[in-house]
Amino acid sequence: MRLHPADYLIIFLYFLFVVAVGFIIKKRIRSSNDFLSSNRSIPLWITSLAFISANLGAQEVLGMVASGAKYGIMTVHFYWVGAIFAMVFLGVYMMPFYYGSKARSVPEYLSLRFDEKTRALNAVTFAVMTVFSSGISLFALAKLLEVILGWDFDLCIWIAAGIVMVYTFLGGLTSAVYNEVLQFFLIVLGLSPLVIVALQDAGGWSAIQQQLQPELTHAWKYMGKADDNPMGIHFMSLIFGLGFVMSFGYWCTDFLVVQRAMIAKDLNAARRTPILAAIPKMLMPIIVVLPGVIAIALTQMASDAGDYRIPQDASGGLDYTMTLPSLIAHYYPSGLLGIGITALIASFMSGMAGNVTAFNAVFTYDIYQSYFVKQRSDNHYLWVGRWVTLVGILVSIGTAYIAASYNNINDFLQLVFSFVNGPLFATFLLGMFWKRTTSAGAFWGLLLGTVAAAITHGLTIAEGKGGWIAPLFPISSGMGQAFIVASFSWIANFFITLVVSLLTQPKPDVELKGLVYSLTEKVYGNETIWYKKVGPISVVLLLITILLNLLFF
Amino acid sequence: MNLFNRFNQLGFVIGIFFILVALVLLIGYGISEALHRPINLYSGLLMLAFGIFMIRVKDEE
Repeated sequence: MRLHPADYLIIFLYFLFVVAVGFIIKKRIRSSNDFLSSNRSIPLWITSLAFISANLGAQEVLGMVASGAKYGIMTVHFYWVGAIFAMVFLGVYMMPFYYGSKARSVPEYLSLRFDEKTRALNAVTFAVMTVFSSGISLFALAKLLEVILGWDFDLCIWIAAGIVMVYTFLGGLTSAVYNEVLQFFLIVLGLSPLVIVALQDAGGWSAIQQQLQPELTHAWKYMGKADDNPMGIHFMSLIFGLGFVMSFGYWCTDFLVVQRAMIAKDLNAARRTPILAAIPKMLMPIIVVLPGVIAIALTQMASDAGDYRIPQDASGGLDYTMTLPSLIAHYYPSGLLGIGITALIASFMSGMAGNVTAFNAVFTYDIYQSYFVKQRSDNHYLWVGRWVTLVGILVSIGTAYIAASYNNINDFLQLVFSFVNGPLFATFLLGMFWKRTTSAGAFWGLLLGTVAAAITHGLTIAEGKGGWIAPLFPISSGMGQAFIVASFSWIANFFITLVVSLLTQPKPDVELKGLVYSLTEKVYGNETIWYKKVGPISVVLLLITILLNLLFF
Repeated sequence: MNLFNRFNQLGFVIGIFFILVALVLLIGYGISEALHRPINLYSGLLMLAFGIFMIRVKDEE
């Protein structure tokens, strides 16, 4: 793929603007709170778009297009089952605790609700996860640009990391959030024309439905038996594994996304952040799933040499990961090609910046200030936050090179992340809604839930992965295996927390006010217009989500 | 509000970015054979309209 000077100009404009945003925001940074948590001053429309953009990294964009091509329309489950319900739950039930407790991070909430060791466990695993995720994002960006544009791998790593470093070092979280919003519009406007032209080329949706096997164009119809659908999972596994454990574990407890709601101006805005974010999230499959479904249909329809096909990998199979770049290369002329490439670069860089800013907040607040250097001036913590940003970027670069040297490091790290994230929601669910949950219960539940995830993975095998203890239970897809691992880890955490809590002494009620549902004053707000109220807008969103599921049943 | 202060508004910054990108597409459509494709024209117009809309959005709204 060769770029025209106009394409380079668009990429340059993007780099110029993201760095400029850093310089503009820098003037507003006067305290550690400004730098690490935006001093809770960000307008609702920005927090809402940043909330979904934090999840719209390039692995997500490339991965969902790839899944659309591999699994068909079933991929929408990651949105209409695996996101909307959890986002609404976060806004309606959980934000009052995160925001109302004045905690600056998710681990800090755990320290208020439970104790320091639960906080430390969550903070350390989260910090490690984010900085490694950031490195993987950087590696993937450099690899993609090397493969499709022939750019130098090292140069891509250092330029991308350098730009992210400049704007996060200068403007901290606010700068990252502002660039996430820019990235959101760039992805939506940059990829929308692709959907239109590719759909037109395929002859429209009805032609695609006629071309593809029926299990690729129905979301639920073939989920009665695991063997009947391309994901190889039963609908109950999907609902529990993805729709409950993984979805609620990610959207309701991962500080990277929750942080975007915690920086809203007031509690009502914080509650509405994930709920309003659910509106564009609901429509995202048009941009990131539909292109994959169109691509597989076009590949099956292809007859001439010039027709679009999904590229093949070295073994002759379809290289689904390259679906989106290959669509961009095939359909976009110079000019729009620059926008498509910039959208990809933006999503990688934004994903990296999101991880680095979440990392520096957790490291500074929950590790450095809590365990190493207490009671220093605010200016001290501001500069620690800045230097931690720098360190986070350097570790990310190191991780990117490790990922380049060891082919399986990405899979390994993603696996470890799933072990950590899977059981976490059980800790929060019990902690927020059952006042009898004790600190010992939370800690041991979380720790042993993670161990249960590792054991389940060691006993199951899918697509050659897992089974490192004994491959006793074969599963037809890696996706199905992930759901099952998450489900078992959640169940283990839930029951261990329950049992240990019943055997140990809970905190007195007075210490749990504002942290537990039954001991917290209910917030109804004073909004008069229905769409500004959390309840009615949530009900409308859930009804639309159910309708969408029925429409593509 | 003067122009410099408006750069503190995210909506304004995003608007300017998309207007500039739209201009690259539209001017390129007019002067370069490589960029003279209907999809560049339509996308450029869409981004121009979006950019103008965004510079009118105030962050507080």
